[in-house]
Amino acid sequence: MATIELRDVTKDFGGVQVIHGANLSIEDNEFVVFVGPSGCGKSTLLRLLSGLEELSAGEIYIDGERIDHLPPARRGLAMVFQSYALYPHMTVYQNMSYALKVARKSKQEIEEKVRAAAEILQLTELLDRKPKALSGGQRQRVAIGRAIVRDPSVFLFDEPLSNLDAKLRVQMRIELTNLHKQLQSTMIYVTHDQVEAMTMADKIVVMRSGHIEQVGAPLDLFNKPVNKFVAGFIGSPAMNFFKGQIISADEGTYEAQLDNGTQFKFKAQAGRLTVQDSIDLGVRPEDLQPGNTGAGTLMGKATAVERLGAQTYAYLSSPINENMIIHYAGDLDIQSGEEIEVSFNLDSCHLFGPDEQRIEFEG
Amino acid sequence: MSTLNKKSGDLGTWLMHIFLGVNAVIMLYPIIMMALSSFKTNQEIFSSPFSLPKSFSFDNFAIIWSQTNVPRYFINSTIVTGLSVLVLLVVGTMAAYALSRYKFKGNIMISLFFLSGLMLPLRLAIIPLFIQLKALGLVDNLLGLICIYTAMSLPATVFIMTGFLRSLPSELEDSARMDGASEFRIMVEIMVPLITPAMVIAGIYNAVPIWNDFFFPLIFIQSPEWKTLAQGLTAFFGEYSINYGVLYAGLTLAALPIMLVFIVQSRRFIAGMTAGAIK
Amino acid sequence: MAQRTATIKTPFENALARRRQLRKLWLVFLLFPAIAILLTFVFLPMASAILYSVYEWDGLVRGEFIGLGNFQKVLLDPRNNQFLINAFFNNVKVFIALMLVQNGLALILALFLAREPKGYRFYQIAFFLPVILSTVIIGFQWKLFLNPIFGLVNTLLRSVGLGDWAMPWLGLPETALGAMILVNAWHWVGFPTLVFLAAIHRIPKDLIEAARLDGASEWMIARDIIWPLMAPAVTIIVVLTFIGSFNWFEIPYIMGGLEGSPAYSTDMLGLLFYRTAFGSVSAGNSDFGTGSALAVLIFIFIFTFSTIATRYLTSREVELS
Repeated sequence: MATIELRDVTKDFGGVQVIHGANLSIEDNEFVVFVGPSGCGKSTLLRLLSGLEELSAGEIYIDGERIDHLPPARRGLAMVFQSYALYPHMTVYQNMSYALKVARKSKQEIEEKVRAAAEILQLTELLDRKPKALSGGQRQRVAIGRAIVRDPSVFLFDEPLSNLDAKLRVQMRIELTNLHKQLQSTMIYVTHDQVEAMTMADKIVVMRSGHIEQVGAPLDLFNKPVNKFVAGFIGSPAMNFFKGQIISADEGTYEAQLDNGTQFKFKAQAGRLTVQDSIDLGVRPEDLQPGNTGAGTLMGKATAVERLGAQTYAYLSSPINENMIIHYAGDLDIQSGEEIEVSFNLDSCHLFGPDEQRIEFEG
Repeated sequence: MSTLNKKSGDLGTWLMHIFLGVNAVIMLYPIIMMALSSFKTNQEIFSSPFSLPKSFSFDNFAIIWSQTNVPRYFINSTIVTGLSVLVLLVVGTMAAYALSRYKFKGNIMISLFFLSGLMLPLRLAIIPLFIQLKALGLVDNLLGLICIYTAMSLPATVFIMTGFLRSLPSELEDSARMDGASEFRIMVEIMVPLITPAMVIAGIYNAVPIWNDFFFPLIFIQSPEWKTLAQGLTAFFGEYSINYGVLYAGLTLAALPIMLVFIVQSRRFIAGMTAGAIK
Repeated sequence: MAQRTATIKTPFENALARRRQLRKLWLVFLLFPAIAILLTFVFLPMASAILYSVYEWDGLVRGEFIGLGNFQKVLLDPRNNQFLINAFFNNVKVFIALMLVQNGLALILALFLAREPKGYRFYQIAFFLPVILSTVIIGFQWKLFLNPIFGLVNTLLRSVGLGDWAMPWLGLPETALGAMILVNAWHWVGFPTLVFLAAIHRIPKDLIEAARLDGASEWMIARDIIWPLMAPAVTIIVVLTFIGSFNWFEIPYIMGGLEGSPAYSTDMLGLLFYRTAFGSVSAGNSDFGTGSALAVLIFIFIFTFSTIATRYLTSREVELS
């Protein structure tokens, strides 16, 4: 139930800048995921928002009001930590009620809120237990319950699923999404796992070394990554890149040659590229198909093949890309060591210029 | 080969058991003798020193209770040890908390300051300490002893507590901050309850040597009414030098409380007393 | 525009500054008591000791500055330095004997206990029991046991037919120091034993099992695996024994008296310091000047050698990754 606005948010630790002037708007009731490789600053950005770290420069607004000078508890946020950070010496009930107790709420109000949250999360039976006596999934739920009782305008999650096993993670992902629908509040979620980002987010914020690289809906990021980094980060298995060069440029009609000799023509903004500019052509594994039906073809030697019945992944090594992956929907009878031909169509490709920024095809 | 190994292993095991057993007897026998002799009369001690006492008579203890200052010494030692350890744990934990949980300018300097305190043998500064305490009116005063013991044991306490406090995850603190707790409240309600076992260890580490010390009382306490148990025993020995039964009873009485606690809490005691030597 | 942002920013910065100020106060509140206590009762007296050693003293009154005069008196005046040399070598004897008897025994006990034999807990408690008792109790107890006529030790010797061995242990210059060292070893052996034991328990079991699979004998495992990997514990025990030996006071004071009876055979630096500072029959009146000088010398000696020993011993430690 809140909008958030970051303006030129900057953070340095002892002279080393870790967040470089981040600008971001978050809409009311949005589920926003900060994603990026470790060390990209996503957790720091979350901590700046929570008030656990002080800004070096910039401003933060919640519902139009500036809050970056307020202590954490007065920002109307609640946070769920990676390790859950449950107080080991307190029962589930005491853990969930601690914030309300600190805020001097009446006994009755505390009781009501804790019961209500426990109901939502199916924790009622466990209220008298200590964290030690809970399973990983239950601890996770208590951590969320502790956030819920405070009735915050924004929920912050710091890699909350990374301590769970794979099966539980999928289940919790769904539960969290449902919880978001049920609670109708703004949620910000940090993860390094792009699958979590794609499946849960209304809006993804991709970060790299302290910069926000791209902000958008999951499929927008997938279909139109603004640069090579985002293209490579979003999507699994990752996009294949082929290096090449512009060999002719004429008023927005260009001709390019990949390093293996494949040539292709395309239309793009006039003057965007010049002859001899290096380019990267990105092709997702599922857009590389065996055979020579497409516009561009490549030869590669299969180094490993994973046949799963309904789909097949083949890892190819070719002079232009030593670790190329193809994803074929269906069974593909090839053997490791076999030389095979694959092809792609230009309209499913992504092109990046010498500055690694996206080049939009025209026409 | 394997049978040979086993055989020599058996012989070795036997030797080991004998060695450990003999050593245990050597360690325990004198203490048991001390305790048994305290129930004997002087005559019994001379005529049958190794036998069990004819009857468990508490006469020797009665003499100590009614005719000596030992009960008074006992109370003094309890006050000195109790208050010293209490102040130590509070003040030491506070300092350790600041050093282990906050980044601030001077943190390393202050840590080194405490660390260097570990290496200063206060006994060698007994002369200035004496003059200083005299000026403060703390000579022949239990408070003077409490000051000395607290100061002397602070560096090790800070050192031990810092180690334990560092091991607590910082997310707990962050979580409490998000919950709106003040820094004081985070310390008292969240962090300190989690290190109570460590405080017990640090408490034992300090309490035992303070309870047992007799060097500082020897110099700082003169009046019989303020003597501590360890120190008081020396006076008591002068007085009852020929009544062995009473002497043994005095020793037993002095040893008893700490021994009882040790036997009940041996694990913690051993952890506590070796806390400074095991990283 | 620039002006506008400046005026808006100030209240926010004020709020932050106030929070930082509060945090600073909080840290001062946490640290101040400990620092004040330590400064007043440890650092100030230690520094004063150095200062006092270069003044002449008349009782509790400080007199003239006399430079290194007190040091000269302690080290060079034959009336004093014969005591100093005698006491110093007694301390050296104590250190060597404790290393061999007390720590050597402790090592064997620890190696045995590390195999967790039956009665493992009992042995730990039994060996550690004397450690928790006051030196005063131990000292008097053994003084009673070692009494030449009624003492248990001689009674025991006579009763098993070794009557010739019965002797006034604490009354003879040849045996008094040895008896005290044994009493000290009896008192403390549990401490190094359990420190060594903890160190051995820290060595990963896989390492020892791997050596056993390689066909190493128990003795080879102890020598080639356990001993090098328990080096940090050995360092600590050696240094603590060194400091303890040169600060040795309680046992000789209780069992031999302030003058190191018999015939100064149990005199120690600690006793000499006490006599010099607070006065005695042999050392004459209390003299804070020479006493302080002696204290400074003892401190420098202990500090230098324990630092060198720590350096040397630490260099042979292996890091367990």
